Amino acid sequence: MAAARILVVDDELIMRESLARWLERDGHAVETAASGEEALARCRAARYEILLLDIKLEGMSGLEVLRRVKEDDPDAAVIMITAYGSIPTAIEAMKHGAADYLLKPFEPEELGVVIENLLRRQQQARETLYLRERVAEAARFENLIGQSPAMQEVFRLIADVAPTDAPVLIDGETGTGKGLAARAVHSLSARREGPFVAVHCAAIPETLMESELFGHRKGAFTDAKETKRGRLEMAHGGTLFLDEIGEVGMRTQIDLLRVLEDGVFYRVGGTQPLEADFRVVAATNLDLDRAVREGRFREDLFYRLNVVRITMPPLRRRKQDIPLLAEHFLRRYALEARRPIERIGRDALDAMMVHDWPGNVRELENAIERAVVVGKGPQIRAEDLPIGRPVPPAAPAVRLEEVEREHIRRVLDESGWNITRCARLLGIDRSTLYGKIRRYGLRKPS
Amino acid sequence: MSPPAAPCILLSPVGAFDGELLAAVGEEVRRVFGCETRILRLLEEVGFARDPVRGQLGSTPILERLAAACPPEALKVLALTEEDLFIPVFTYVFGEAQLGGRAAIVSTHRLGLAPGFPVAHAALCRRLLKEAVHELGHTFGLRHCPDAACLMHYCRSPRDVDRKGGELCRYCRILLNDALARAGR
Repeated sequence: MAAARILVVDDELIMRESLARWLERDGHAVETAASGEEALARCRAARYEILLLDIKLEGMSGLEVLRRVKEDDPDAAVIMITAYGSIPTAIEAMKHGAADYLLKPFEPEELGVVIENLLRRQQQARETLYLRERVAEAARFENLIGQSPAMQEVFRLIADVAPTDAPVLIDGETGTGKGLAARAVHSLSARREGPFVAVHCAAIPETLMESELFGHRKGAFTDAKETKRGRLEMAHGGTLFLDEIGEVGMRTQIDLLRVLEDGVFYRVGGTQPLEADFRVVAATNLDLDRAVREGRFREDLFYRLNVVRITMPPLRRRKQDIPLLAEHFLRRYALEARRPIERIGRDALDAMMVHDWPGNVRELENAIERAVVVGKGPQIRAEDLPIGRPVPPAAPAVRLEEVEREHIRRVLDESGWNITRCARLLGIDRSTLYGKIRRYGLRKPS
Repeated sequence: MSPPAAPCILLSPVGAFDGELLAAVGEEVRRVFGCETRILRLLEEVGFARDPVRGQLGSTPILERLAAACPPEALKVLALTEEDLFIPVFTYVFGEAQLGGRAAIVSTHRLGLAPGFPVAHAALCRRLLKEAVHELGHTFGLRHCPDAACLMHYCRSPRDVDRKGGELCRYCRILLNDALARAGR
């Protein structure tokens, strides 16, 4: 079972603590809240894959917490915990979107089964989303453009390192083009004729990761009806791209280290050694150095991957690239949408230059795509862009968080609180958007 | 001045406990963890942990007392009991451990000693050895393992315990060796 971030909400200390400890033994990251109010505050600050929510709480009821959580995040998985007398309430909770309920005290195995099923469903959804994004990204390889010194340094590093076979670790914020940089390394390498195989480490449950990476022999385990090639085998002669490497569990870290050290691997249940003939490129938006210090990422694997480090600069640190990128996206989307928009107006460019682009290039691309659709004249105007108005130079300094909060609120309002559409316009994924909505305490206007 | 005692793992019976089983657990712990073991009764009475309604022992308060009473030279302490254990949200547990902490407890009650579920002494012993190592493994930071053959696999029934092997899988072995190295073993 994959590790999940779980929030246990119960006003009885002993209940929430014993449940939390038990879940930690299954490898989950568990936090607790003693009231509905505290649970909602925590949900605003972070996103949890699963909430275990007691129906009977002092103060705000479990049902009310459920209602508010689902209002903010319809995808949130909430398991209600109930005593014998509250079964009708639990059934009511199911009608309001609870994923399941447990009658306490429950058998230890019941909890494991319920959580396992929920996580499996969530991971399948994430994997599908990732594959869709990779297909879209493959068609947008040219997005890795820029004349700023920061990007010129990235290009120089890619050109220098690509012809070698050294492992590359790419880090940077979401939307900065880590996947594109990985493709660039592959395209400029001697392995360019070989396959480029991406593995989205965060989307694959650790229990399936071994078979996914190494493949398996028919009969190796109950579900192994046929022999299957793993991603390592598919990457033969090419590049293996380990996206979101910071999310892999300890077992997978051990497996990857062994392959990188030995240069061979085996299918699950297989005895024939297979040559590890691929170049490894890994990417992360986490602080991997910190993960190593905190013991969450193996130091030996980190040193194997971190031979060459490429750091993708955020768009706010290379603003001189904005006109170039914006022109590029304008040409593409005007052509695609068959709109006679020829240029970007001065006011629109000013607005883009003062905006901080928390979603980076992906956010800029989506902003231009939207402006092309809603724009009415031959040029894009500031009001066509889903970003804040330019701040006058004399305006008092505001915190970046305040700007981001205001911008997200505005795009949410413009998109009618359609989370999918809003995330697309901001150039971030839906889970990131949900996290930000919670963190900033944004609420849909009633 | 005598040299400091070598770090060891304490085995601490709670209430009456079969001497043969205790000795077998000691041998298995030495084999798997490479540490010496010592038998020492740390808690003379556990009435504080008994739930009169459920008729079971709460494992969590016992772990807290064990950890507090554990002498500094002991790396970990494993309590063994024939009584039925519970934690508040669950109807029962085979055992409990402080993840990455010092204390663990395991019960034979659901492994074959419960009335109506008699098993041969040898079979009970095999189950106990596996669950004892499993709970101690948690104190070294090991979490539940998806490999059904591994000692760290979470078992839903005594039959599942029978099905799992007597060894750690290679992942858990590496993680245990890392933890033992950190502990200076």
